[in-house]
Amino acid sequence: MHSRRSFIGTLTAAALGPASSRAEPTERKRIAIITTVWTYQSHAQHMGDRFLIGYPRNGRWHKPPLDVVALYVDQRPEGDLSGQRARDHRFTVYPTIAETLRCGGSRLAVDGVVIIGEHGNYPRTRKNQIQYPRFEFFQQCVKVFEQDGRCVPIFNDKHLSYDAGKARKMVAESKRLGFPFLAGSSLPVTWRLPPVDIPLDAEFEDALMVGVGGSDAMDYHALEAMQCMVERRRGGETGIKSVQIIDGDEVWMAAEQGRWSRRLLEAALSRSDTLQGDTQLDSRPQDLANNGQLPRLVPNPSAYFIERNDGLRTTLLMLNGAVQDYTFAAQLKGGPIISTQFFLPPQPNVTYSACLVSAIEEMIVSGKAPYPVERTEIVSALLDRCLDSRAENYRRIETPDLDIRYLAAKESRFGLR
Amino acid sequence: MRLDRRQLLVAFATAMPLLPCRAHDSSRRPRIAAVTPVYYKYSHSQHIVDRFLDGYGWEGRHHRPAMDVVSLYVEQVGANDLSRERAQRHPQMKIYPTIAEALTCGTNKLAVDGVLLIGEHGRFPVNEKGQQLYPRYEYFQQIVQVFRDSDRVAPVFNDKHLSWNWNYAREMYDTAAAMGFGLMAGSSLPVTWRQPSIDLPMGADVEEIVGIWSGGIDGGDIHVIEAMQAIVERRRGGETGVRAVEAMRGERFWSALAAGSWDQGGWDPTLLEACLSRSNQLNPARPTYSHILPTNDDIRRLAPESYAYRFEYLDGTRASIVQLQAAKKQEGGGIVGDCSVAARLKNGELFSLMFYLPYYSTRNFFSPQVHHMESLFLTGKSPYPVERTLLTTGMTAAGIESLFQGEKRLDTPHLAIVYQPTRESTFWRS
Repeated sequence: MHSRRSFIGTLTAAALGPASSRAEPTERKRIAIITTVWTYQSHAQHMGDRFLIGYPRNGRWHKPPLDVVALYVDQRPEGDLSGQRARDHRFTVYPTIAETLRCGGSRLAVDGVVIIGEHGNYPRTRKNQIQYPRFEFFQQCVKVFEQDGRCVPIFNDKHLSYDAGKARKMVAESKRLGFPFLAGSSLPVTWRLPPVDIPLDAEFEDALMVGVGGSDAMDYHALEAMQCMVERRRGGETGIKSVQIIDGDEVWMAAEQGRWSRRLLEAALSRSDTLQGDTQLDSRPQDLANNGQLPRLVPNPSAYFIERNDGLRTTLLMLNGAVQDYTFAAQLKGGPIISTQFFLPPQPNVTYSACLVSAIEEMIVSGKAPYPVERTEIVSALLDRCLDSRAENYRRIETPDLDIRYLAAKESRFGLR
Repeated sequence: MRLDRRQLLVAFATAMPLLPCRAHDSSRRPRIAAVTPVYYKYSHSQHIVDRFLDGYGWEGRHHRPAMDVVSLYVEQVGANDLSRERAQRHPQMKIYPTIAEALTCGTNKLAVDGVLLIGEHGRFPVNEKGQQLYPRYEYFQQIVQVFRDSDRVAPVFNDKHLSWNWNYAREMYDTAAAMGFGLMAGSSLPVTWRQPSIDLPMGADVEEIVGIWSGGIDGGDIHVIEAMQAIVERRRGGETGVRAVEAMRGERFWSALAAGSWDQGGWDPTLLEACLSRSNQLNPARPTYSHILPTNDDIRRLAPESYAYRFEYLDGTRASIVQLQAAKKQEGGGIVGDCSVAARLKNGELFSLMFYLPYYSTRNFFSPQVHHMESLFLTGKSPYPVERTLLTTGMTAAGIESLFQGEKRLDTPHLAIVYQPTRESTFWRS
């Protein structure tokens, strides 16, 4: 267990001194990966491999100045690759998170932690959320930080937790201890078609996101994609006033009642490359927002209505059966409609994860998160509350507890040049 | 013989007192004819003509072109044909049995304001060099015959290269120039999305450029050659034409791949790496790794039928087209699914991008191309120089000829084609 590698690792860490952020930018940093599973095409494999063998960035095959020195993997299902990767790339898999962060020694021995709590066999809540143990992984990291009197940056993949309270606690802990904390989906940082951004301090009339997939995996991605756009509005994010989900035919009726904008749906779908129905049949283009086909194609639509404290109303439509991609449209006050597709390049390369790994690398190297973790906190929490609405007979829920205020980063940092 | 006939035709055309090509009468919607060998799912004509008939997503709207496709000629109608369904659903579009009738709408005079010539797909012979003999030249001749008979011309869009045959292409170009109608042509790659969304700065000093894709003599070659040309034409001084071409495959290709530089008989490997790094579709070269940069050994194993064309421009610029091609029916074969280019500029800077062709069933890379066709039909002028496609048609044919002649280096004095690119970029970015 105490390999030569981890022994050297401990020595090196001790020699480096306490604050990793004080290190010279040219020096290589040591990271630990904490994950649920490492199988082919899992998030851990897509993201973890990029630290091991590099990834495309700005037209080069970039080799990060980071060494994965320790891994914790919670489950080893059939197809587990963790042992093979550890042998091929000479790092150690440890049986506990504490040992991983200390590389088998007695003190924190890494300069950054990457938590990837996605995939694996975990129970669901009564609201059908997968109980990935991200909060528990994070807590164990924080415990090591506190015991050893030193903190390092943490990245957390996707939402902080399925539970709003746990998400809030994670962000509070990072602030209390003062370590850089980055989290979230790859959608905010992936390529966009077209590569447009919301001008900082824009005033919104309305915003609509279209997504597909299941809950709470894919609606999360869609909500965070929308959040990275609307957080740029004048005054920044002001928190969530109320949420409500509706399912089924009521979603179409809600358009007639003006609860969401068909014009924005047309704009969003004009950015889709995956129209279903007749387009699948014979590849014809379609005005799917207006040609009356949606109720036939989408038997189970969902609308997530999210009202913000500053009065902005935003909507996510989950339209399984209509499209297979993620698009967004916003009407700016007295201005144009801005619309785009959050482009998810296909398997197996899933290059969007290279965009995310680039952001993680930047945080660990610079000691500064390139965008606020509050984005992930607010989306984690509002999704949890939306699912409360569904569980409670689709009622509108006031959310004074989601009084999460923050300002967007000036630079959006989407797509890699 | 061929040249004589061409010269004669051109002289004849020049002498004819045709009405000059100009924007159509703006008081009514332009009427468009489409001529094509086939009309089935995923054929170029389906993608293009459907966008005129059904509209398409554009800049945040479902855009409907302000013109009508009123006539259609389809040479080969099989069980998978969609033209009949389209004509039924769009009764303003009539199907005619000949190209002449499509252009005259059954009268004796040209009755359209623009022509879509989409000569792709369908059953046509393949010659000994591997070129499929699509009848674009023959269709074009029938179109201009109607123009002559009607004393009137209309702008023509020609899909992909002008022809598999250089002399045919030159004649098509000269005829359009002599008769004075707008001719637009080429691949959709130059105008589709780019990743990242950039263009070569106008007037950049390009030393060397590499373009890659996954092979396909002629049909695949023209796309990557024209994509590369749409970048390199923006270099300092504009386009000067191509002086020579040299093709390589087999052991000569593997030597070039390992050579390490143009001067050593290959290309700058940094540029190949940049191209590979721009792809979203790298075939995983090592088991259990989903995204890994292939080594030269991986390329040899996974793309054993690779080949390359090295072009020397008249101003000294060097361009390599590297076609990373799997063997026929090679299971798990192939290196790359995307077309990308990378250039080294004189200041040592690297410039690289991928031409993104939306992978899904909508094939939306046809949308920007159709957008430019609308512009051709509304203004009478091609929105970008057809000389680009004239040159790339010649480069493609010359590359294939070099391959056919045992990878012999060929001088290409006929490709001294000089033109200037549009200052404004024309690729999809809004």
